[in-house]
Amino acid sequence: MPGRIASFFRNLLRKRAVEQALDDELQSAVELLTQEKMREGLSHPAARRQALIALGGVEQVKEQVRDSRTGAFLDSLLQDLRFALRQMQRSPGFALSAVLILALGIAANVIVFGVLQALVLRSLDLPHAEQVMTLQPKDAGPFVSHPEVCDVRDGNSVFSAVAVYEFQDFGLEANGVTRPVWGAEVSGQYFEVVGIKPFLGRLLERADDDHPGASEAAVISWSAWQSDFGADPNVVGTTVRIDKHPYTIVGVAPEGFRGTEKIAQLDIFVPIANEASLDGFSWLESRSYRNLFSIVRIKDGVTTPQAQAELNAIATRIARQYPKDEEGLALKLARPGMIGDFMGGPARGFLAGVMGLAGIVLLAACANLGSLFAARTADRAKEIAIRMALGSSRWRILRQLLVEAFVISILGGALACGLAWMALTGLASWHPPTRYPLRLFFVMPQPSLILMAFLISVAAGVIFGLMPLRQIFKADPNDTIKSGGGQFAAGRRWALRDALLAAQIALCCVTVTAAFVSLRGLGRAMTMDLGFNPKNVLLTQFDLSQAAYTGEAADHFQRQLLEKVSQIPGVEAAGYSNTTPLSGDTFVSAVFSQQSSDFRPSNKAFYAYNYDISPGYLTAAGTCLLAGRDVSFADTAKTPPVAIVNQEFARRLFHSEHAIGRYFKDRDGVSIQIVGIVADGKQFTLAEDPEAAAFFPISQKATTSTAIVVRTRRDTADMVAALRGVILDLDRAVPIRELGPWNTALALSFFPCQVATVALGVFGAFGLLLSIAGTFGLASYTVSKRLRGLSIRVALGAQAKQILSAALGRMLILLASGSAVGILLGVAASRILSAIVYQASAQDPFVLAAVVFTLLLTGSMSVAGPVRRVLYIDPANLLREQ
Amino acid sequence: MGKKRTDVLRGTLDLLILKALALEPLHGVGVSQRITQITSGAFRVSFGSLFPSLHHMEEKGWVEAEWRASENNRRAKYYGLTSSGRAQLRAEERDWSQVVKIMTAAVESA
Repeated sequence: MPGRIASFFRNLLRKRAVEQALDDELQSAVELLTQEKMREGLSHPAARRQALIALGGVEQVKEQVRDSRTGAFLDSLLQDLRFALRQMQRSPGFALSAVLILALGIAANVIVFGVLQALVLRSLDLPHAEQVMTLQPKDAGPFVSHPEVCDVRDGNSVFSAVAVYEFQDFGLEANGVTRPVWGAEVSGQYFEVVGIKPFLGRLLERADDDHPGASEAAVISWSAWQSDFGADPNVVGTTVRIDKHPYTIVGVAPEGFRGTEKIAQLDIFVPIANEASLDGFSWLESRSYRNLFSIVRIKDGVTTPQAQAELNAIATRIARQYPKDEEGLALKLARPGMIGDFMGGPARGFLAGVMGLAGIVLLAACANLGSLFAARTADRAKEIAIRMALGSSRWRILRQLLVEAFVISILGGALACGLAWMALTGLASWHPPTRYPLRLFFVMPQPSLILMAFLISVAAGVIFGLMPLRQIFKADPNDTIKSGGGQFAAGRRWALRDALLAAQIALCCVTVTAAFVSLRGLGRAMTMDLGFNPKNVLLTQFDLSQAAYTGEAADHFQRQLLEKVSQIPGVEAAGYSNTTPLSGDTFVSAVFSQQSSDFRPSNKAFYAYNYDISPGYLTAAGTCLLAGRDVSFADTAKTPPVAIVNQEFARRLFHSEHAIGRYFKDRDGVSIQIVGIVADGKQFTLAEDPEAAAFFPISQKATTSTAIVVRTRRDTADMVAALRGVILDLDRAVPIRELGPWNTALALSFFPCQVATVALGVFGAFGLLLSIAGTFGLASYTVSKRLRGLSIRVALGAQAKQILSAALGRMLILLASGSAVGILLGVAASRILSAIVYQASAQDPFVLAAVVFTLLLTGSMSVAGPVRRVLYIDPANLLREQ
Repeated sequence: MGKKRTDVLRGTLDLLILKALALEPLHGVGVSQRITQITSGAFRVSFGSLFPSLHHMEEKGWVEAEWRASENNRRAKYYGLTSSGRAQLRAEERDWSQVVKIMTAAVESA
């Protein structure tokens, strides 16, 4: 063994001496053989020739000896590497563009993968996170009601802990300052499910949640402890006020724990038993009030199917026991963290789609580089032929080309890592436009991403490095050297690179089509009829329960405020409601026909969105009252219940829009008279089909949740200040979370659409860039290869048109067929898009025209240079040169 | 190291080279001639296999090389067996006769 190690180093380090010795040895062998042949009677030259034949070529033997040496592989690899770097130095333009193209392609993939990993692939950062699940009601939102979860908690043998939680916007008063913070009301076993250890003090326990008022204990997050309490080590035991109620901080959660939603950052946790005092009304015992997220921990040794089986049995039991509220209840175990599992599906779908596009872009980049490589290999045909003639094996030449491809792809991968790192760091620190405590991309660049980038680069290197494979293996050195090199495969037959170019153009068309489809969709979404007009409207939202108002007092405060606000100069109209459309805080409830007497959910007519509104709200919001009257303060709890409904509501219930004066029933069986009809509009998302909505007089049902809508003629900045002044004048304790133009508040609704458009736009632009690079590269290559032939044609009197078709006819065929296939594919793929982007349709003539125009433009741009060169051929010059 | 040989051809060549060198140190051309001689002209080893094999054995320490004058006063690289080369030769001879025995028995049994 030591001998081998020694020879390894000798072979690598004392290369020259080893080579010299080998050369000497073979020379002496030639001489010995020559002498032998001379003894057989041959002349010296003839004998020497025979000796060389007998030996089989000095260089060939040398090469075989080199290959048999220890470390031969590494040695030749180093050689290849040096050669590759020299090649790159010789054509820095090619190297740079190849590295850049690849870096962009890889970066796109790494970034998308990073987001995918953070949102979908990675589980919550909890001990034994694989045992933590959420109960997802079938065919419904993510929410469950408190009694349902209590039934599961008390009647199962498969979960070690079962808990619920609800996000809550609290007014936290500490050290004399009130600040709005996001937190959660959690049930007693929440921290058992979570399974973490407190950083300080204790976490909430079962006893804290035993009955309303059982304890006024609160747990704060590590970051709230840092920022609001100055990292005070004696914070445990401190009394704070949450929505004016005194609470005692009993513990600090460990660093990094911000609740059990991947995208939300919560700061305070209180027992859900105290819900009534915090929310202003009690829903803990209601089976129909589904507003809670559930989270459970499966016992050690119990499998998910076992747990699911028992859960099914429990759900069936609940449904049988409470048919009115729980009919058809089915609970499914799902992975927690994505608003229960509610957002899991769409997010996975969208990210998978984007991942697919990123893959397409990378493939296109590889096809691009592959054809560049194939073209270069063709240029180097002579060099390759000479190397083969000198005794190099085909495998060795292939390896050389692969090494070149790898050097480029690894450089590209390294650059891509840098790009992705920057992009992901940017995303991680970016907050979407919303009042919710969202951090949409809780993505931190991770080492696994580097691995991913590396793997992608290697794969890409192999893909495009192997493209010239056929060229090398079919090359016959004898022919190539005789024909002078350059002629080999220069545009005579259809070559692999032609197919690659067409494929690449097709792939790029897909990304371009997708980009246009989503741009168009966004454009429409921006101008569509929302059913209200957010322009020149200020919106402010707060919850009076945080300032300890309830029922009557809240009603009184709201009316007083409306009066004051209406007196602000410049206010055109003002009103308030419990919530506004597209705010995300909308509620639906079942609507029953007047004839109904059975109020089980299955017997409902449909679900309608509910709003409690004040007089003037409709005018202020710009919702058009088509018939009937507005609500009035004369509608009170003592007068008959009334409602204003939208057209869709009337159509669904009465199959006509003549609904004034007619009745419907709510789930409690109360008859409600319809007194007005308003225009349809968007309620929950921009992409929804028309939904039914009902507007009830807020004076018939007092609520603390307040959204004030003010239509103004004045500059908004002044108005914001005036409005804030008026509210705080009435009560300084009102925690205003949001006050600004309604358009700003709506940003979240437009957000998915915008994200999709930006992502697809970037991919589209990138696809275009690639196809320009590819087309231009191949067109100029074709022209330069055939310049001589073309010059002869020009000299013989060929017309410009003939020359053009001879030079670039094939390019144009490729461009046209690639684009046609690409557009078809793009149209097919865009169907998927319509789920995210409102009104995205690839059949839109505008989209098709735009795609075709863009492709024509880029196509002609990329062949313009080569065309010019062809048209201005000076045959005399060229023929002289060659 | 590497006493076990699965590659029969390579093993055979190594055995022939070792055998050729058993008597006295030889240069490359000499080894080739000696092999032709001891196999009564049945085997002609190509130099493309012979030289790599010799260099390989040198790296393994089975043979030692030395530059000296040839029979007609040319400088040539002579290879001679080392003690580990002799051990290897014995081992390969033993293996070979075993293979021959087994194969002969197998072929004749049929």
